[in-house]
Amino acid sequence: MANLVIAEHDHGSLKAATLNVISAATAIGGDVHVLVAGHNASAAASAAAQVAGVSKVILADGAAHGNLLSENAAAQVVANAASYTHILAAATAYGKSVAPRVAALLDKAQISDIIKVIDADTFVRPIYAGNAYATVKSNDSVKVLTVRGTAFAPAATSGGTGTVESVDCVADSGVSSFVSAEVTKSERPELTAAKIIVSGGRGLGSGDKYREVLTPLADKLGAALGASRAAVDAGYVPNDYQVGQTGKIVAPDLYIAIGMSGAIQHLAGMKDSKVIVAINKDPDAPIFGVADYGLVADLFEAVPELVAKI
Amino acid sequence: MKVLVPVKRVVDYNVKVRVKSDNSGVDIANVKMSMNPFCEIAVEEAVRLKEKGVVTEIIAVSAGITQCQETLRNAMAIGADRAILIETDVDLQPLAVAKLLKAVVDKEQPRLVILGKQAIDDDANQTGQMLAALLGWGQATFASKVEVAGDVATVTREMDGGLETISLKLPAIITTDLRLNEPRYATLPNIMKAKKKELAIVKPADLGVDVAPRLTTLRVDEPPKRQGGVKVADVAALIDKLKNEAKVI
Amino acid sequence: MSTYQAPLKEFQFLLETVAPLAELSKLEHFADATPDTVRAILEESAKFARDVLDPLNWSGDREGSKRNADDSVTTPKGFKAAYDGYRAMGGAALPMPEEFGGLGLPRSVVTLTDEMLHSSNMGFGLMPMLTQGAIEAILLAGSDTLKATYLEKMVSGRWTGTMNLTEPQAGSDLALVKTRAVPQADGTYRVFGTKIYITYGEHDWAENIVHLVLARLPDAPEGVKGISLLVVPKMLVNADGSLGARNDVKCVSLEHKLGIHASPTAVMQYGDNGGAVGYIVGQENRGLEYMFIMMNLARFGVGLQGVGIAERSYQRAVSFARERVQSRDVAAPKEPSVPIIRHPDVRRMLLRMRSQTEAARALAMATAYAIDLSDAHPDEDTRKANKAFADLMIPIVKGWSTEMAQDVTYNGVQVHGGMGFVEETGAAQYYRDARITTIYEGTTAIQANDLIGRKMAREGGVTAKALIGTMRAFAASMGASHNVNLKSSQAKLIAGIDAVERAVEFNLSNFNSNVRACFAGSVPMVKLFGIVCGAWVLARVALEADRRIGTGHPDKAFYEAKIATLRFYTDTMMPEALAAADTIVNGADGTLALAEASF
Repeated sequence: MANLVIAEHDHGSLKAATLNVISAATAIGGDVHVLVAGHNASAAASAAAQVAGVSKVILADGAAHGNLLSENAAAQVVANAASYTHILAAATAYGKSVAPRVAALLDKAQISDIIKVIDADTFVRPIYAGNAYATVKSNDSVKVLTVRGTAFAPAATSGGTGTVESVDCVADSGVSSFVSAEVTKSERPELTAAKIIVSGGRGLGSGDKYREVLTPLADKLGAALGASRAAVDAGYVPNDYQVGQTGKIVAPDLYIAIGMSGAIQHLAGMKDSKVIVAINKDPDAPIFGVADYGLVADLFEAVPELVAKI
Repeated sequence: MKVLVPVKRVVDYNVKVRVKSDNSGVDIANVKMSMNPFCEIAVEEAVRLKEKGVVTEIIAVSAGITQCQETLRNAMAIGADRAILIETDVDLQPLAVAKLLKAVVDKEQPRLVILGKQAIDDDANQTGQMLAALLGWGQATFASKVEVAGDVATVTREMDGGLETISLKLPAIITTDLRLNEPRYATLPNIMKAKKKELAIVKPADLGVDVAPRLTTLRVDEPPKRQGGVKVADVAALIDKLKNEAKVI
Repeated sequence: MSTYQAPLKEFQFLLETVAPLAELSKLEHFADATPDTVRAILEESAKFARDVLDPLNWSGDREGSKRNADDSVTTPKGFKAAYDGYRAMGGAALPMPEEFGGLGLPRSVVTLTDEMLHSSNMGFGLMPMLTQGAIEAILLAGSDTLKATYLEKMVSGRWTGTMNLTEPQAGSDLALVKTRAVPQADGTYRVFGTKIYITYGEHDWAENIVHLVLARLPDAPEGVKGISLLVVPKMLVNADGSLGARNDVKCVSLEHKLGIHASPTAVMQYGDNGGAVGYIVGQENRGLEYMFIMMNLARFGVGLQGVGIAERSYQRAVSFARERVQSRDVAAPKEPSVPIIRHPDVRRMLLRMRSQTEAARALAMATAYAIDLSDAHPDEDTRKANKAFADLMIPIVKGWSTEMAQDVTYNGVQVHGGMGFVEETGAAQYYRDARITTIYEGTTAIQANDLIGRKMAREGGVTAKALIGTMRAFAASMGASHNVNLKSSQAKLIAGIDAVERAVEFNLSNFNSNVRACFAGSVPMVKLFGIVCGAWVLARVALEADRRIGTGHPDKAFYEAKIATLRFYTDTMMPEALAAADTIVNGADGTLALAEASF
């Protein structure tokens, strides 16, 4: 068995997602090779060579990979895929764009977004937006996989003794070209689209305290700010902050409820969040009944400490 | 310019699916089925291109059981001009769908194929890219903005850390992301007119495509239940849980 | 949290049982209304109700419509955009003739789309309802010029319509109307007077509002035979169809009311500046006659409001009862607390809500189907028989569906407990919004009078007796099923039909000799007919469900629920029907015993 990991990088360094993919490849077993398709990307290649578990890095360096276009990347993978049983990429925008092209060119099925390796042919992946987990077996000779990063611990960035081997860069496909890129500014995300929400209740005492205590935490986490109806009614924040039955319905990855009791109407608006944290000094507050992690503490001490240590 | 829009019939996004008690799959008998939301966005985008005068004909295509005709009628109610159903009872996987679509593309010769980036049932996110590879065409996945001028499509894509704009030589493949547009409601008069539009039915064998599945689903499970109500001792313990157990920060 | 989900599966089943769409689409008139097209229309309408109208319901109630100093009215945030969306979808055009840009769909379909409007947002739904009524009036009696000037724009929803009947001194009794219409040399009229309770009399959704106004000509005879119907547009319309000057009509105030806050209820003032220009609809002095023909549909529409609001109240209550954990299971007192839906009395309340809503909906659908056949069937006898059935049913659909909506929304609050009494859960709004439905377009007593008088005594009970015969024949056919629940319901249905027969006999034999006794029991008669006819249609649905279960249909749970719902209904609601019959036959003396002065 031999695994080929399609590296995600910015030429100069390896993107963190690649480390999770290398862990998944290690879990499958056999050699782990990494393909770096880039332009002036020797730094990324040597970074990959040092990752624990990597025995070889294949560097395809050339202008065709200057903008990391999927068409060229996929062609490069296929050109160097002959000896591999598993080809893996991160389930990121880049990996999701490249891997299916590779699979189709090889006439193999792809298994997307794996979260667990059962054996070399069998993997677990979420379906229906994570409401079910499917255990899927591939009957193909080569498995093309994308890997959900959060499901695999990142491989150590050092300790590897991989060699770097250069291969010919493919010719540019000519069908697509890069125009421009725009990095997202770290403005506060919309409540309903945010991955993390920091939400405050009447326990904060005033609008000033709400802003003073919660804003640093939200900034640090890139989170949106929300509030209970009680906090909105008390005038701490405007109406559009309100989460709950009569406010916005949210389901972020992480919901941090601070100084709120957890009235049923509020719970109705946030109970589908993946992880709920509650910080409240009243140990009997209903919010603890739905929280995955509850911290019974004075929020005015706990939240600044959280900001400092996170 | 002709555009092809593949659409998939899936469990309605409001339905919370249940895993069958024998773990053989999810129970989708008697639940409401609808057009995959990303496919709706694809149809909408094609209709907007037609309204701008860029596109002259929109062909909706679906692959699957007879009932997929409803999904195609829906696409025609939104604005597709005609439809093709590739009818089969086989459980179609993305590679098979991509091959079927390639056969339709070879016949219809569209300049653009617009697809949803993924279907909300299998969440595979593969078909558009696979079709592009099979055709040797350029692709722009996760589109949040599309402009077509002459023989070039300029597409802004949603990447992990921001936006990227690329230019595609036509013919090409575009897959839609959520923010590309907000699909309109099919007007009721158009629903009635859709009934009178052409809907052709072909079989995979007519297209010479082998659609046998490559992947076998061994079992389907409920995701692990959340452990509610764990109290942590202090802030450090909380951060540890969030980082290492929940992995959300 | 509860989001409105239209009961599409239920709708579909009704279109396969009590209102068989496949039969309707065989008629030339409804050839386009094929089951697959109708399914798509219902699904799209359901999406609109869920995603656009339902989310505005609560904020619309909080905000309400506001009148501004310049006599204009601002509706709650989001409502105009929702109306634009509704118009763009073609929602306004559904039942209207294709000649004027409508879709010509059967009432059996429109009944369901109307229900969805009222379920998701009754304050919004009133506008299409009233505009439909105004369109019907012009269609019925308007001149070709009136039709050409107004209909297409109203059908497309570009202009909206209102109904101006009530005046401060003329409520249920329209003979007291005082608004004056003075004929002019050019054939138009000048209208002077005050009209109250004008729903959407003024708003910010459309460029023109077409008021249909009841008024009295200077030489008109006294009473109901001296009332004429006029079109009075807010903006005068030029010969080329463009808008001209502002007419002499304005909104002088908005009512403060118990419910339906989103919809402006206006006081309209006509003719303060020389007279509002009006155009006669049909012939002079025949206004009330036209109005009553049209009122049938309006009353039917209010009945649907009852069904719609009841459905929504039920959905919210179920959603709450599944989530709210409170108290232990009475049969497992050592276990932890359970969702309240486990408690038997919550189950009783929810089933009471559900079974009455389903019965009222099925009855409305059976009536809609009869309306469709009376409009479009090629055979004259079939048309006549269906017209008679629909006419008999309309006061019941209006009177009973809206009364049952009070019971349902009451229980909707009750299931929530204290959470229902506070406004935030939304349960209370349905309770308040439902309250008007037993009042406008004729109170329950007005419906009841129509039922026992015009629809029963006046024709010697022919239609009522025919219905009794039909129900008996159906009840007998239930014997074919081996299902124990159906057998039990069959016996109760037969007892209900017997009670209807007793009450009808009482009404017919006393109507001339002891009319006060009959009217003392008129509202119980509406209830009796409602419950028993409701059981009849529910049983028709359940019998078909039983048949489908027998053929191994995969959706067994859905069909079993139909039979279980019928069983609950015949066990717990039918006794109330028997009591109503007893009140009708034996209760008049008691009702009338107390001297007026002793109150």
